[in-house]
Amino acid sequence: MAAPTTNLQQFKAGLLDNNPVLVQLLGMCPTLAVSNSVENALVMGAAVFFVLTMSNLITSLLRNRIKPHVRILIFTLTIATFVTIADLTLRAYVFEVSKKLGPFVPLIIVNCIIIARAEMVAIKSGVWRSLADAWGCAIGFTLALCILATIRELLGAGGITILRDAGWAWHVSPKAFEPHAWVIMIMPPGAFLTLGVVIGIVNHLRARGARGGA
Amino acid sequence: MDFGALVGVFLGVALVNNFVFAQFLGICPFLGVSRKVDMAFGMGCAVTFVMTISGVVTWLIVHGILTPVGARLLGNPEALYVLKYVIFIMVIASMVQLVEMYLKKFFHTLYTAFGVFLPLITTNCAILGACLLIDMNEIYRASLLKSAVFAFGGGIGFALAITIMAGIREHLRHSNVPKALQGAGITLLTACILALAFQGFAGIGK
Repeated sequence: MAAPTTNLQQFKAGLLDNNPVLVQLLGMCPTLAVSNSVENALVMGAAVFFVLTMSNLITSLLRNRIKPHVRILIFTLTIATFVTIADLTLRAYVFEVSKKLGPFVPLIIVNCIIIARAEMVAIKSGVWRSLADAWGCAIGFTLALCILATIRELLGAGGITILRDAGWAWHVSPKAFEPHAWVIMIMPPGAFLTLGVVIGIVNHLRARGARGGA
Repeated sequence: MDFGALVGVFLGVALVNNFVFAQFLGICPFLGVSRKVDMAFGMGCAVTFVMTISGVVTWLIVHGILTPVGARLLGNPEALYVLKYVIFIMVIASMVQLVEMYLKKFFHTLYTAFGVFLPLITTNCAILGACLLIDMNEIYRASLLKSAVFAFGGGIGFALAITIMAGIREHLRHSNVPKALQGAGITLLTACILALAFQGFAGIGK
């Protein structure tokens, strides 16, 4: 793949060709842990979107002032600050979901996707390029999480429920399947199984695409 | 302090709620550093070491500094808790540095055995995860000793998981894995079967 030259290409690279989860295999811990329901996946995606946007923005604005040897420290402290904001916001507005996500919102601090974007793009690019990159990667991350969560929740719970606590449920359920749901899919082994199979499929499609394209 | 409760905490976190197979913490090194048994074991020991120390130090900072200072200066013991995450990550980073310098000076054999793993540990989410889990749970918030046992058990559980995985991967090299699944794919599928086995521990240590 050629290096992205425009902002749009930068955005698309993070979304598909260079998807942080399915292609670069970064940020595996939250991927496995919060993909047990679509609701968790969406909330986690929103938190990562916010943190990644702000960290890329700040890093890009400060790029000419940061001394190279303290850059990792600056990245980490910037990320930790915005993660604290995201965590407090989630606890204030969607308390139930934030309780289910447990330590995985604060663990965004050590999520390798965010440090990787700061180090690879934001520290040496302009503001718009960094934002395009942040949005591409964050949406790509959410997309991957949602694909896994959809598979796991459909097979494991028999249907997808979003916003049950807020009072309006959206339940898509093949009724015939519900009594035979495989509970194991929403338990830890199901996470490893689904991610392994999805990565296998993505690798297969990429290999075929490369052969067909060349 | 009764001994049985501590054994329960240890078994609970090392086997039942294993950091890798049940709580998904430390997956990156689990996938990355599990090619050879001796490397995996080195990583496991280094993580156990740093995890125990960071668990104790962050507990002491939260209960020995943040809570009393917040209570005295701002009238609310939880007022300074917004600083927690920033402090945790700084403590872990500096702990890794300190441990590295200390080992280099006084236990050189151990230092060379840990090798490159010590600096890598700063971004290991299992360490921060252990500190956060200790901080989120009432039982561990109340007792430093239980927190220390929890952090130590978590590290041992991680070491166990990564060493088992490395043992299996050494054998996988000789098997005929479909091309698309080579690398991460087959490792995750193997982890699925191991996680199923670890589900069998549910119920002990409760």
